[in-house]
Amino acid sequence: MEGNILIVDDDDIVVKSCDSVLTPEGFTITGTTDSTDAIELIRDNDYDIVITDLNMPGVDGFELIKQVNAIKPSVGIVVITGFASQQNIKDILQLGIIDYISKPFAPHTLLETIMKATYLVRKIKAIPAPEADTEPDAKKKTEALNNIINEFKAVPGSLLRVLESAQDLIGYLPPSVQRFIANGLRIPVSEVYSVVSFYPYFTMKARGKHHIRVCVGNACHAKKSGQIMTRLKRNLNFNDDNITADGKFSYETVRCLGACGFAPIVEIDYDTHGAVDPDKTLDILKDYH
Amino acid sequence: MPALKVRATVRSINKLTIEDMTSIREKYKDPKRIGAKASILVCGGSACKARGSAKIQETLSDELQKKALDKDVSVYETGCNGFCNQSPVMNVYPDMTLYQAFKPDDVPTIVDEHFTKGQPADRFVYKDLKDKKSIPNRQEIPFFSLQSRRVLSKSGLIQPDDIEAYIFHNGYSGLVKAVTSMKPKEIVREIKDSGLRGRGGGGFPTGLKWEICMLMADETKYIICNAGPISRSIIENDPHSIIEGMVIAGRAVGAAKGFIYVREPDNLFILRRLHTAIDRARGCGFLGENIFDSGFNFTIDVSFGAGTFICGEETALIRSMEGKRGYPTPKPPYPAQSGLWGKPTIVDNAETFANVPLIIENGQAWFRSVGTQASPGTKIFTLGGAVNLNGLIEVPMGTTFRTIVEEIGGGLKKKSTLKAIHIGGPTGGVIPASAIDTPTTYEDITAAGVIVGSGNLIIMDTNTCMVNEALTAMEFGHGESCGKCVPCRIGSRVMYDKLLDITEGRAALEDLDMLQSLAFEVRRTSLCGLGQTSPTMVLTAIKYFREEFEAHIKDRWCQAGKCRSLSTFVIEPKTCTGCGSCARKCPQGAISGEKKKPHLIEQAMCIQCRSCFETCPFSSIRIEAGVTEEVDSW
Ligand SMILES: Cc1cc2nc3c(=O)[nH]c(=O)nc-3n(C[C@H](O)[C@H](O)[C@H](O)COP(=O)(O)O)c2cc1C
Ligand code: SF4
Ligand code: SF4
Ligand code: FES
Ligand code: FES
Repeated sequence: MEGNILIVDDDDIVVKSCDSVLTPEGFTITGTTDSTDAIELIRDNDYDIVITDLNMPGVDGFELIKQVNAIKPSVGIVVITGFASQQNIKDILQLGIIDYISKPFAPHTLLETIMKATYLVRKIKAIPAPEADTEPDAKKKTEALNNIINEFKAVPGSLLRVLESAQDLIGYLPPSVQRFIANGLRIPVSEVYSVVSFYPYFTMKARGKHHIRVCVGNACHAKKSGQIMTRLKRNLNFNDDNITADGKFSYETVRCLGACGFAPIVEIDYDTHGAVDPDKTLDILKDYH
Repeated sequence: MPALKVRATVRSINKLTIEDMTSIREKYKDPKRIGAKASILVCGGSACKARGSAKIQETLSDELQKKALDKDVSVYETGCNGFCNQSPVMNVYPDMTLYQAFKPDDVPTIVDEHFTKGQPADRFVYKDLKDKKSIPNRQEIPFFSLQSRRVLSKSGLIQPDDIEAYIFHNGYSGLVKAVTSMKPKEIVREIKDSGLRGRGGGGFPTGLKWEICMLMADETKYIICNAGPISRSIIENDPHSIIEGMVIAGRAVGAAKGFIYVREPDNLFILRRLHTAIDRARGCGFLGENIFDSGFNFTIDVSFGAGTFICGEETALIRSMEGKRGYPTPKPPYPAQSGLWGKPTIVDNAETFANVPLIIENGQAWFRSVGTQASPGTKIFTLGGAVNLNGLIEVPMGTTFRTIVEEIGGGLKKKSTLKAIHIGGPTGGVIPASAIDTPTTYEDITAAGVIVGSGNLIIMDTNTCMVNEALTAMEFGHGESCGKCVPCRIGSRVMYDKLLDITEGRAALEDLDMLQSLAFEVRRTSLCGLGQTSPTMVLTAIKYFREEFEAHIKDRWCQAGKCRSLSTFVIEPKTCTGCGSCARKCPQGAISGEKKKPHLIEQAMCIQCRSCFETCPFSSIRIEAGVTEEVDSW
């Protein structure tokens, strides 16, 4: 498994033993016995996991955890502790760590804990941070949404239009936006939800910067669009919400985009790519940054 | 996704009179208009776009300028030629030389040979598939010469945004005739007599539908063009033909408002094209108030859904236009009686509308001059799969599938043998190779157990597994079921599960009968066309390829090697020459063997990707039955 890990322990032997267990498994390990040094390292590098001791001279483990949470909240923390008293465990868990291991530990315990932690961190990281809407930006969007609602308020049957415009504006339709629209149009939220959930075009989840649609309709299926899908999935590491960890790409499969004569079809954002050679799937992504 | 806004490119155009239209036609008749010797029509359809048509146009302009030809030769972008297999495509007017399958870098050579040396650049013209002879003239290429293009007559030859080009090709003369010199009753009569049937798949007589709507007493009526993905080609190529047909329909039934319903709101290319066309038609006075001083008003708006196949069904489409979930409603009442907001509404397919101006202009007898008695006129099909030339074609109804596959499509690809023809799109089905002489009419296609549907043809070769195809069809059926009625929602799920059992070796022979009778029931009892057609593939596959289902169940053998649990790839030692081609292709490194000695597949490593099977130059790889799991469950 891949992962970038920092080990902080004033005992050199612990650092070395962690290194010898984790490096052969594919992890990239940095170790330090100086916790002040560790803070610098964390600031300058991208670690998935920080493994730390609690009892250390200078900055102790508790302090280190607080600092990590402040400067890099996405880093996962695993604590190694010699005195696992109930109180101690409660304290450290409250600090917001992923897991702890008590000394002495067996190599497989360490490995399992770290693998689980890395997996978890990846998952958390993959959820794109909520669009850091600056205050004026959010205000502008609310205003724009209000304008859309006012424009269509009097037009019967315009719910789809409003939702489309709202999705264009915000990128997706989370429950808060649905409530806002329902209020504005004076219709029940359940009606808005029933429409949003019915149509595949609407999404309640954020999409990637570039949205990929792979046609799996029968003309495209006959031309191996399945292989395109496999290649994308294998190489882009989509999470359960079909977004890549860096938020750059998201995907969905669609059935027939009406360009069957030129199957298989892949649409990225607003571009149609036809007769895609499954072997060259990744090449078309190169133009999307 | 970057948010893009759609806006039409508006050019100020004044209202036209009949005389203006005549003078436009005169002006365009002279190919040397605006001092041009020739025009190069570069295909800008999706396929050609993807293969660099923008770059080609750029290079062409540069090159023409360099050779000081830019005053004499103009460059236009057109819609899809339908010859997408050979993309990029461009035509040189007036001699109609067609260049294909070239690279933007080849443009200088083409310009040089064609214009400086004065002869077609032979390397880039189409070569006959049989005798490899060059056929420079578009009209002589069998793919084109064997078609009968009416609706697609302008495809690839005009700039779709250019309303004058449309008028030059006799566009809008049907409209002028209908509004200025025909009574609504006469229009309906003409359409009825022409025998035009809905091109959206159902084949309902269009004239009859219009008559029902015309006879309704309501003040307000609507015209809707159902422009789902299958209509993409017509909108891309010839948006004005749809607009013209809709205005005529409005005149016939007494409607003043039309909508073009596009299912995907994010297809900006299509939306822009439609908006541009509508704006120009309005500018010229083909839409708006008092059209050609007839006192008749008609306007068109673009309306869009939000994806989902079921919204192609007319009643679901109407619900979606009303801002609701796209649930179908039982018919009757038909939309022609009670449709959008409860008003009489004509919902027709884009291809249906595009046929209307031609019928009004040329008369019903002309329309009936091709096709059969019950299925007159032409039909557009998309041709795909294991045939040499994929693309978009239009043929007289009644043309046999043999003509389409063997002549227009140029026969099957190398090393392929025809197994079946899949007709009708996602809810369609198959006819076997032996039925290749079936004529393409509504009656014959229905009699064979399949549907005309979206007019999508997929030529399937012997590498296709019918069970697997049926599984894909049912995955679609249950995935797209709107869930309103039980037979479709549950029945299609159960069928899917049963098929999955068969492809994974868990089924018994009784299951096959159960599957078949369930498919019948779902077809018989579903509320709308989706549930009524989604079992088509299951039914036709069992009807024509029952032994294949039985082999899957009894022998655990998928002869096409598509069902993983039911196939094993083995190398036939007698014919294997040890060339090593397969070993090089195998992504798993599962094949080993000494050079020039028979190779061996390590079954534990094989992922059944079929690469070796497709690669082996000596056909030494056999697909055998799957290994029975009982062996290790002992
Ligand atoms: C599931 C389903 C999908 C359909 N999709 C389309 C479509 O994409 N385009 C279309 O014109 N008709 C489609 N139809 C047919 C329409 O319901 C309707 O019959 C047609 O628009 C009528 O026009 P026509 O008489 O000109 O064919 C679909 C029908 C069903 C049941
Ligand atoms: S047949 Fe299927 S798609 Fe049609 S109404 Fe019934 S559940 Fe919906
Ligand atoms: S089917 Fe694919 S994985 Fe199996 S032996 Fe052939 S090439 Fe290798
Ligand atoms: S099946 Fe993919 S475009 Fe039609
Ligand atoms: S897109 Fe150019 S021929 Fe179809």
